[in-house]
Amino acid sequence: MDDFRFRKVKQNLGVFWGNFGLPLIFIIIVVVFSLSNPSFATRYNILSNFGFAAYVGIAAIGMTFVIMTGNFDISIGSMLALVAVLGSSFMPKTGGVIGVLATLAIACSLGFINGIFVTKLRIPAFITTLGMLFVFRALAFIYTNNVPVYISDRFWLYIGNGKLFGVIPFPVLLMGICYLAAYLVLRKSPVGRYIIAVGTNARAAALSGINVDNIKILVFTLLGLFVGISSIVNSANQGAANPGLMGQNFEFQVITAVVLGGTALSGGNGSLGGSLIAALIVTFLGNGMGLMQVNSYWQLVATGLVMIFAVSLNKLKFYLLGQGEY
Amino acid sequence: MIKFLKLYEKIGIFILIVIAGVFLAIASPNFLKTDTILNIITQGTYGAIVGFGMVLAITSGGFDLSVDAVVALTSVFLSILIPNIGIPSAIIISVIISCCVGFLNGVIITKFGVNPLITTLSMATIIRGVSLLIANGKQIPISETRFSVIGTGKLLGIPIPIYIMVALFIIFYLLLNQTSLGRHISAVGSNESAARISGLNVTFVKIMVYVLVSFTASINGVIRTSQAMIGIPSMAPGFTLLVITITILGGTSLSGGKGNLIGAVFAGIFISMIYYGLNLIKVEYFYQLLSVGLVLIFALFVDGLRKRYLEAARIKGIKV
Repeated sequence: MDDFRFRKVKQNLGVFWGNFGLPLIFIIIVVVFSLSNPSFATRYNILSNFGFAAYVGIAAIGMTFVIMTGNFDISIGSMLALVAVLGSSFMPKTGGVIGVLATLAIACSLGFINGIFVTKLRIPAFITTLGMLFVFRALAFIYTNNVPVYISDRFWLYIGNGKLFGVIPFPVLLMGICYLAAYLVLRKSPVGRYIIAVGTNARAAALSGINVDNIKILVFTLLGLFVGISSIVNSANQGAANPGLMGQNFEFQVITAVVLGGTALSGGNGSLGGSLIAALIVTFLGNGMGLMQVNSYWQLVATGLVMIFAVSLNKLKFYLLGQGEY
Repeated sequence: MIKFLKLYEKIGIFILIVIAGVFLAIASPNFLKTDTILNIITQGTYGAIVGFGMVLAITSGGFDLSVDAVVALTSVFLSILIPNIGIPSAIIISVIISCCVGFLNGVIITKFGVNPLITTLSMATIIRGVSLLIANGKQIPISETRFSVIGTGKLLGIPIPIYIMVALFIIFYLLLNQTSLGRHISAVGSNESAARISGLNVTFVKIMVYVLVSFTASINGVIRTSQAMIGIPSMAPGFTLLVITITILGGTSLSGGKGNLIGAVFAGIFISMIYYGLNLIKVEYFYQLLSVGLVLIFALFVDGLRKRYLEAARIKGIKV
């Protein structure tokens, strides 16, 4: 009887941790930083942090989809740089809205190329995108001759730096819209169920009439689109598109956010909300340590430790629920 | 055709080297000199040595993204320890410290159940930070000139790093093919739960693998530091992806269970030939990136075609 009750308690804890574990970690981080540094808890700083989170957060949507289908994309850092330099360099000719749309189209086509390589040429996603990581970065260098492209277009800059009602950063709104759209696609449309089916068991999905290749190409293209949006936000924040410095380690930040958010690297179901909160955690952590003037070398150490710690805490859920190999 | 494809699987990378060699010999009158060739092979040993460790990691179904940081950690420790305790003990202690990083990787992956990619990536960040902290962000010169023998010395006209690579190749070859640990590594990589059920100590095997990867990375760190004669906390950026490229070009299957050590040697030399060739025509760094990416994709494209052809032949009932 006691054993039964103990198991019940454990299971309840597991469910609680699965639902509220990550938000709890996020709240703890915010509280700790607010207590130790008064300039962290200002409305301005918190709001602009939400804006910065869009950089990792928006791309994390696409990465969640890709990882849910059991694939992987490590070329997005280079893609980010290539999209930014291509887009911003022809902005003066096309101007505002058309330019941004064209930039997103370029981003989609880069993702599409990845998807074609993975599905039609049957090269594993990890290697395709590893190759593309070199190719995209090299193309960005070659196109600009390693000279940053400065951005003067007002619409482009507004996407990254604009403020709604003078308070809320525009990227926050953008991120909200992206997450809402992605949620609807994932949970309320057949496409979302196809994605989950392909990730859970590609063969079963193919036998039940789903075109697996098309779904995979679709998720890579979507990732391209979201990386394109992140790219515009990031280059607008910096005021320039730098072919060498943009998107360094970006792929790892995004993958960390997605995995931290609870999406399994082996594919299957994933959590968009988890990815969002994890992106917030990563961003706030960086900003908080920056404000406390932690030595940048210590920041590296702390970031790594927090990542391992957070992912192991995430595993706690499976332990408490009695799932997985333990 | 099938015979040819079978042969290609074994020596495909060798064919690439011959093609690149002929091309370079025509393009450059200097290529066919002993010095040039030895130089290219020495450069190739960098990737190949760490490639041996990576072959083990990928064979066991894992991954290690922390090798570049371990190279830097070894470099920093060497530069600090050599003036204090002499060359041999400094090398031994630095290598042991690096192996501890691999041990930590293994423990976190097996005991906490954290994904290898995330673990080693976080570890790379941590170790990079630690190296920078220890060195205080500076580069530390080494004044003990005898230390440079390891990286730049020659024995019977052949550079020492080549001997080191050959020795490590023999050790790793025997380890993978002649010992029970080697067979266990393949078993864990092909089917982990089957290996666990049949009584293998999966935890021990995995921890050993990550220790060995860090060991190869630290040997690479010793060679590099000895060539540069300076401890550099930011040494070898982007080296990890190059090592993975070499491992995969060398024919190690990403899905685990099948490692190819000799392939890693040739792939290392091949990549080094590409760099030499591109330096020859004096193209800039970014074209080197571009060509490494294209070669990788092309090699795997050919590999994919080969697999599809064999699969089709098998379905038609031709004995493969």
